[in-house]
Amino acid sequence: MANVQMQFEQFNDTIRLGRFEENATLREKRDIIRRKLKANLPVVFKKYNEICPEYYFLDQGSYEMDTGTKPLDGDYDIDQGLYFLVSITEWPDPVKLKERVFEALDGHTNRVELRRSCVTVFYSCNDEPLYHVDVAVYSESSMNTDGKSYHAKGKQHSLPENRYWEVSNPQQLSDTIFDKFPGAEDRKQFRRVIRYWKRWKVVNFTAGGASAPNGIGLTLLTYYHFQPRYTDAFANKHNDLRAMRELVEVVLASFQLVYDEDEKAYVERLIVKLPIEPWNDVFDRMTARQMRTLKDKMTVLKDALVYAEGVADTRAACERLQMVFGKDFPVPEKQETASVHPPAITSSGNSA
Amino acid sequence: MSSDRSMWPYTFVRPGGFHFEISVPVWLIMQRFQQSEMHMAEAGGVLLGRHLRDGSAIIVDDITTPLSGDRRARVRFFRAQRRHQAIIDEAWRTSNGTCTYLGEWHTHPEPIPTPSAVDWTDWQRRLISDQYSEPIFFVIVGTKHTSAWEGRRDGGIVPLSLIQR
Repeated sequence: MANVQMQFEQFNDTIRLGRFEENATLREKRDIIRRKLKANLPVVFKKYNEICPEYYFLDQGSYEMDTGTKPLDGDYDIDQGLYFLVSITEWPDPVKLKERVFEALDGHTNRVELRRSCVTVFYSCNDEPLYHVDVAVYSESSMNTDGKSYHAKGKQHSLPENRYWEVSNPQQLSDTIFDKFPGAEDRKQFRRVIRYWKRWKVVNFTAGGASAPNGIGLTLLTYYHFQPRYTDAFANKHNDLRAMRELVEVVLASFQLVYDEDEKAYVERLIVKLPIEPWNDVFDRMTARQMRTLKDKMTVLKDALVYAEGVADTRAACERLQMVFGKDFPVPEKQETASVHPPAITSSGNSA
Repeated sequence: MSSDRSMWPYTFVRPGGFHFEISVPVWLIMQRFQQSEMHMAEAGGVLLGRHLRDGSAIIVDDITTPLSGDRRARVRFFRAQRRHQAIIDEAWRTSNGTCTYLGEWHTHPEPIPTPSAVDWTDWQRRLISDQYSEPIFFVIVGTKHTSAWEGRRDGGIVPLSLIQR
């Protein structure tokens, strides 16, 4: 009913954070890390009497896919792929390679961590806004006999079974996701909807909490269940409210009962598999409790979307949407939504 | 859609698929005057609000309630002209002409309200004699249901259907 497409598009313009090519801040932060690695990697390898393998960088993550949103707290989350021209047989222990990367970055800021999936550099310099760069380490595809690229998993002191090379191809993932919607305008709506999810997540889950669903999961939920929606298909006028409401409803309906070993009971889970190798469930690390919270918050989101679609007043719809999407969702002033009329003159009246 | 009815506005479907909507804050005021107890007198006032720019809906943002000069009885309400008109003028002026007069409302001590002969005559007279932007609406708040009618200058009055939530 209420037409809030203008407000949704305004919201998208406010929260969108473009690609590296468009955004100097992102590029700058990324290039600091690239320069640091260029300068230090040869030194570190030399220290261990190893030859520094050739390597190159690839942008990955939401800023590469153009699904990024501006962080609310300034904590930009920058993803970099670091592709070493080595085979997984030359470096059977992926953590060893990650340790070299860690050492090349360590001391660069007060906090550098070697984590399960990447080496993370945290910045919290005096005036500089807080941000972090995740460097994911890969073995490049052409170096492996099966022609696949592999992602280095595991951390220091991990048990051997938790240190492994995992088949991974971020570029192929990105291509798979976006090739599903060939039309330029549909693809734009697809990206907008992913950004709405992500901002909803930031507003509704406490900062840095492990309880929040990860960005790739929300992106994949959209990939699997989103359908382009229009108010006028012939004029190519999109209806983001309806697309989002239908998407959230389908996602809520796709929670499934799974036996949980920790809870010793059947619990509801969202299973979101990567559409390419290694086909893993990207939400598999969420606990049963986190899943329940996710479902509760998604239900609140759905109710707000149903309400916004059900009321006639644009302003009432936007007020409700602001409650779930945060203050960047615009609420128009009453006057902006109304036409101007001449003054009315009324008489007294009788009723019974 | 939602079990919490009070959170939803009252939305009516108008001829042509357009909408007439009583906002939640306004409904909360009307509710206070519902004649649910035997001793409660009839109440009423004027409807104020917006014609949405795209023409899709007309929204009631505010109402007047009984003011001094009005007369209230169990099954009778007389709304005087001057004080209600002053509020209409003020709302119109401070909103730069966007908050306008939208019609009249009053209560009935019956579950499903229907207009009385007095109501009907008064509406017909008003449609012809008053100055307003078409259409205007007549709302009757019953003890269980609330109904609305849409009127035009040619005297045509049609009932509107409420969207069930």
